[in-house]
Amino acid sequence: MKKGLLILSVMLVVFLAVFTLGAAKQVLHIYTAFDADQAEVYINAFMQSHPDIDVKWVRLSSWQVLARIRAEAANPQASLWFGGSNTSHIAAAQDGLLEPYKESLAWQFMPKQFKDPDGMWIGLYVGYIGFVSNTNFLKKVGAEAPTSWQDLLKPEFKGEISLAYPFSSGTAYTTLCGMLTAIGSSKPGFDPEDDAYIKAFDAQVHHYNESGSACITQVGQGEVGIGIAFSHDILKKGIAKGFPVVMTFPKEGTSYEIGGMALIKGGPEPELAKIFYNWALSKEAQDLYKQFYRIPLNPEATVAKGCVTAADVKVLPIDLLWYGEHKDEIIDHWHEVTGK
Amino acid sequence: MNDLVVRFEHIVKVFSEGTHREVRAVDDFSLSVARGQLVTLLGPSGCGKTTTLRILAGFESATSGSVYIEDRCVNDIPPQKRETSMVFQSYGLFPHMTVYENVAYGLKVKHVPKAQIKRQVAEVLSLVGLEGLERRSVGQLSGGQQQRVALCRAIVTKPKVLLFDEPLSNLDAKLRKGTREQIRRLQQELGITSIYVTHDQAEAMSISDAIAVMNVGRLQQLGTAEEIYSRPANRFVADFIGEANFLPARIIEVGDGRVTIRIFETEITVEQDSTNFSPNEEVEAVVRPEAVDVIEVDQGDVNAEILFSHYTGSVVLYALKLPDGSRMEVQVANPKERGLLPVGARVGLRLHRKSIHLLKKEL
Amino acid sequence: MRLSSYRRELQNEIKRLIHDPVLLSIVVVIFALLIIFIIFPLVKVVQFSLWPGGKFDPKYFLNFFRKTYYWRPLINSMIVGSLVSLFGTIVAFIFAYGITRTDIPGKGIFRLIAVMPIVSPPFLIALAAILLLGNHGVITDALRLNWDIYGLPGLVLTETMAYFPIAFMILEGVLAKIDPSIEEAALDMGASKLRTFLTVTLPLAIPGIASAMLLVFIRSLEDFGNPVVIQGNFQVLTVAAYHAVTGMYNMPLGATLAIFMLLPTLMIFIVQKYYVARRSYITVTGKPSGVGLKSTEPHVKYPVLALMIFLSGVILLMYGVVLFGSFTKIWGIDNTLTIQNYLYVFKVGGQYVLDTIQIALIATPIGGVLSILIAYLVVRKRFIGRGAMEFISMLNFAVPGVVVGIGYILAFNTPPLRLSGTALIIILVFIFRRMPVGIRDGIAQLQQIDPSIEEASSSLGAGFFRTFTRVTLPLVAPAFLSGLVYIFVRCMTAISAVVFVVSASWQLLTVALLYEVDQANLAAAAAYGYVIIAIVLTAIVFMRFVVERLFQKGFSPIARE
Repeated sequence: MKKGLLILSVMLVVFLAVFTLGAAKQVLHIYTAFDADQAEVYINAFMQSHPDIDVKWVRLSSWQVLARIRAEAANPQASLWFGGSNTSHIAAAQDGLLEPYKESLAWQFMPKQFKDPDGMWIGLYVGYIGFVSNTNFLKKVGAEAPTSWQDLLKPEFKGEISLAYPFSSGTAYTTLCGMLTAIGSSKPGFDPEDDAYIKAFDAQVHHYNESGSACITQVGQGEVGIGIAFSHDILKKGIAKGFPVVMTFPKEGTSYEIGGMALIKGGPEPELAKIFYNWALSKEAQDLYKQFYRIPLNPEATVAKGCVTAADVKVLPIDLLWYGEHKDEIIDHWHEVTGK
Repeated sequence: MNDLVVRFEHIVKVFSEGTHREVRAVDDFSLSVARGQLVTLLGPSGCGKTTTLRILAGFESATSGSVYIEDRCVNDIPPQKRETSMVFQSYGLFPHMTVYENVAYGLKVKHVPKAQIKRQVAEVLSLVGLEGLERRSVGQLSGGQQQRVALCRAIVTKPKVLLFDEPLSNLDAKLRKGTREQIRRLQQELGITSIYVTHDQAEAMSISDAIAVMNVGRLQQLGTAEEIYSRPANRFVADFIGEANFLPARIIEVGDGRVTIRIFETEITVEQDSTNFSPNEEVEAVVRPEAVDVIEVDQGDVNAEILFSHYTGSVVLYALKLPDGSRMEVQVANPKERGLLPVGARVGLRLHRKSIHLLKKEL
Repeated sequence: MRLSSYRRELQNEIKRLIHDPVLLSIVVVIFALLIIFIIFPLVKVVQFSLWPGGKFDPKYFLNFFRKTYYWRPLINSMIVGSLVSLFGTIVAFIFAYGITRTDIPGKGIFRLIAVMPIVSPPFLIALAAILLLGNHGVITDALRLNWDIYGLPGLVLTETMAYFPIAFMILEGVLAKIDPSIEEAALDMGASKLRTFLTVTLPLAIPGIASAMLLVFIRSLEDFGNPVVIQGNFQVLTVAAYHAVTGMYNMPLGATLAIFMLLPTLMIFIVQKYYVARRSYITVTGKPSGVGLKSTEPHVKYPVLALMIFLSGVILLMYGVVLFGSFTKIWGIDNTLTIQNYLYVFKVGGQYVLDTIQIALIATPIGGVLSILIAYLVVRKRFIGRGAMEFISMLNFAVPGVVVGIGYILAFNTPPLRLSGTALIIILVFIFRRMPVGIRDGIAQLQQIDPSIEEASSSLGAGFFRTFTRVTLPLVAPAFLSGLVYIFVRCMTAISAVVFVVSASWQLLTVALLYEVDQANLAAAAAYGYVIIAIVLTAIVFMRFVVERLFQKGFSPIARE
């Protein structure tokens, strides 16, 4: 009898633990493409100003978020997609996975190049692709940091470059779009010169990561010599951390992203998601980007000193809309060319 | 009132391995056991006796046929609802419980009040002389004690039928005899209907009200110990129970309750039910080794030559060669008194008339 | 006649089942569970590969043979698997030989070290390899080496270290059971020690060695944690399938890759179960033959000892460097000691810790009881479909985690069983993926226990439930405990299947650790790794305590004669 009671009480404790931790507050589920340490800062700030809302979130790379939303289309598990390159939001909108939200004042005030005309997604910040190089490495091989897309093919950089897989990471897909635009004809998509370039570039790559900013730390720690990532991440995770790295940009022009946000169609908490949506575009929220060197799209928010802005780099005329809509095609071709 | 507690009706049990191989472990077995009786299933290993017992307990299901306990067909009743309890060959004691917990287990299952459990357990333990060992772990007991705990555990719930599956085979010879008596005494005092399985004929004969001799899954004979020994139903029973010589004989005359046969060169009249026999029929006469006198040459029914003598102290067993070349065994009790005969000696043999039992010739 | 009595017997069994409603309902429920949670996801995988979009279209299947980037990972996986299986078995044999067949000192410590990799998250070893041997690793820098650990060398090294313990446990058992009198007989006839080893000991151990190699091969083939960290450009099948599903949302491709992962493992599983296992010369008597023949000659003993010390040193160094790494500020740049990484784990990953523990606490007892229950039914009860129950429940032993994960998202994403996003789906993955080991141990233990003990219980009037909880469960307590520990450990350390079913609501520590490794936050990843190890060790101690309290009162099970 005593044993029975003991078993029973253990089970009771377990179930109580499960349910009490599950119930309590209203919960908003978010998929975010911000790195976990950043997402933590933004989302905590939101929860502090909205104490009645609890946010549960998962960090995934941009295209992983899209894959997840596609997989869950019949039964969406999250209500909001926070961050990530807008090419992925464009692809999602095309698949009818997003919920329009034109009623938001933030959307109405946003300049039109930073939002979807149908209200499917909205920009949060802009970011520019840069190269990050380990200075010790450069010294060792006696080379200058790369300043053009072609520089990446130098023999001394062979097997020393790291970036993410373009099919999972928004950063890497943005980089690929930039390469395809900068090399050969600037018409969207692959042309024969692009094929040759991508093939040659792939031979230079040491390995691919899942997420875009990982290469910065790898460069900083000397695991690889050169990485390709967003300049705000290079500033925050490379230079500001004290790693021996330098940041350079391709002189032909670099690629860029609009970091986006969208409501997920059929998400379980549409109202809470809208509260977060509007908060994320407020000055309060956008000021937080300062510490991560991101360029906020709310004109009232402060821009960090040292931030890379459009004035600092030459930007390629990339047809983000086209690349968003043709991602599967591009990736298939990328597979063909690289054999990966 | 029908006082049959257990009835087996045409039980067949086939163990099959797929559709290719099968073994008929029990074959058309029928048997009834009256209230308070102890019936033994006796037979060589593999004769189906344990399977029959397990069918009654519910651990096996019969392929066909029915089992009744107090007129209720229990074919589809699971073991726990049959109100039988079994004493296992390996005892099957719960190794993680004490003596008390083992014995009380069945009562707890029946939700008997705690105080009553305590009383009943103490009572039954004192019956077998285990009082004071309640708190021992069963692993700390001797084999004989474990056996008695198993017995207590089985009888304390007052089952309708008590089942014994070779309960003594793990004990040494001396202990076996004492425990045998104890089981019989308890069974009779408590009046529990019991079925007892063994391959040991001495055990079966000393303990049972009736013995069911089994072979290759079939019931060979049911009877008291005396009946199966002195009037075996067939050659198997005669051979399995005790020692037997099978001598060829021819029927001369059939009378009422008497049969006259010619055996060797002598005519002998045997008292036996004659309905199955007819004159001139070839039969076999069962002659037990102790039912023959060894006497002077030419004085008996037949002469024989001693081939070998096994001297065991209390008796001497002679292996003899008969004139037709066949072999016969004869036992002489108290050889000290009568003197040992040397190998090669020629003797006369005289059969005890009353002990001869006739069997139809088996093809 | 034969057929009819077979049919009669079958009818009787059905009748008996119907008259034993408790057993019947349990059998029916377990079959339903096995079919829904083991067979159905596999069917879905095949369906998505060959019938993408509902119509039969072998496009993806055929593409597998046509496109390099489809079949290359399979070849790579095979190469890694073969090498790991070879090296892993060699390392394991050295340890097993040293412990069972020589009189070296410190056997307990060696044994502990040899099984350590089992209780740690698998990619901790990959992490250690990068910290030590990466392009900027401790050893690489110290010796100014110019090598590249990413790719094949790193995969072989890390997986060998991660999976040799499995081979070790098999070989230790096999070597311990070889009757020394057989070896003594050979020596008696004048054979030298070496000759005895080569002509007697080794051949006797061959079935065990084959089993060990096959098992390690399967483990390597289905490994996801190490490759995702250290594969570099040498892509293996598990990671390719992961990319297809999580990066590209190409379910038919993921399913097809899953099938090509499943085919070799299933084949090996069947070879192992029905061929190798039958060729074993060693009869298990239940009594391990205590003292084996011990080599005491210095020329045998010291080389073995030296190898073992070296290998143990490597393992300890790996765990040590990860532990040290977890306390550094920025690994490799700023090695000042700090606890910031642990603070980070609890700040960012606090919810993950809670989620993971909750899920493990629910999955563990359910999985443990279910395994013992299935083992009990398989060993003790006769009912139709018993063989099928055993086969299906053991199937996941051979199904790679990635295949299970993909199967689950395909199967449970749509009604009627819409489980995606719940904790339940993660719990189910853990239960059904880990049951085979518990069932196998349970079967082994039950076969050692005299069935008349349980028959005694039912003949005394106890029903199925009472007999199972009061008699069977206490008697199999050791197997039950090891089943619980195993499931819990795997809940805390597994990644390959669950990486597909985690969601915004329910996250796991291993997934968080994977993310930190991918972010190259090696120090934070190391901290996560040690948090997991700490939880696992605490839980093992706790479970041992609880199970002993519940079931054991100092008994020694009476063995079947």
